[in-house]
Amino acid sequence: MTETTKPNETSLRLQRTYDAPAEDVFDAWTNPEVLRRWWRANPAWITPIAEVDLRVGGRYRISMEDPESGKKFTAGGEYSEVSRPTRLVYSWQWEQEDGELGHSSTVAVDFRAEGEQTTVVLEHTGLESLESRDSHGQGWEGVLEAFQTHLNERAAQTS
Amino acid sequence: MANNVLLDRTFVACSHPIRRGILERLAGGEMTVGEATGDFGVSKPAISKHLKLLEEAGAITRVIDGRTHRLRLREQPLEDAYEWMSNQRELWERKFDTVEEYLREQREHQQPPRGAPQQENNPAKESK
Repeated sequence: MTETTKPNETSLRLQRTYDAPAEDVFDAWTNPEVLRRWWRANPAWITPIAEVDLRVGGRYRISMEDPESGKKFTAGGEYSEVSRPTRLVYSWQWEQEDGELGHSSTVAVDFRAEGEQTTVVLEHTGLESLESRDSHGQGWEGVLEAFQTHLNERAAQTS
Repeated sequence: MANNVLLDRTFVACSHPIRRGILERLAGGEMTVGEATGDFGVSKPAISKHLKLLEEAGAITRVIDGRTHRLRLREQPLEDAYEWMSNQRELWERKFDTVEEYLREQREHQQPPRGAPQQENNPAKESK
């Protein structure tokens, strides 16, 4: 069961509804071919790595590369819940330039069948790393947005 | 991409309602410690802890002017964190798009669109 989501303090939350059964959407989500198509900054880039070991404790790893500059962006993580076709939970880590893994956050994806359609709700949490989560107050994304607005206003004033 | 350790600290800095409150107040401009931290209803040591975390994250700096301590927002770490969040959101948006595209292709390959003519399997129609 999934509780209805109040977007929590340090999370990203996205949602979309597809005209397809949950099994198909779940399979597409975890399909290495889909990962390969997704994981490139633009069509000129290549995706040399798109590996998926879809089981609890299994890992995925995706890497995109600009063939001109050789610049690479690699991310990966471990599956902690694989419940086809309803829910998928995995960790998310960017690889740093020295190959070390960065801070680990958590991605939970719910696939909710609704008749012929499936709604996918993705929540990327754990960006705060050390702190316990607060139950009230404005989301910190909100703070950053307020801050950005402030910057824009100031830029408008000075120009 | 910005330094991960610093980004982590910024995320930590933003992860508590009191620290976010302080940052929001400072977004309006420089303030004394009293102005920036008053009325949160917590003890002085608690406020000091929050200020220390914000300073470590590089989110604020302390300007000491005689006996007055003023706090100022430092913009770069917050901008980096904002950028990180926007980029990450964009990546997920693109993943949603890619899945949509893929599902559409699958559907088109597996079955002809509804209402499509099926003349090949229906020779009777031709003799009409």
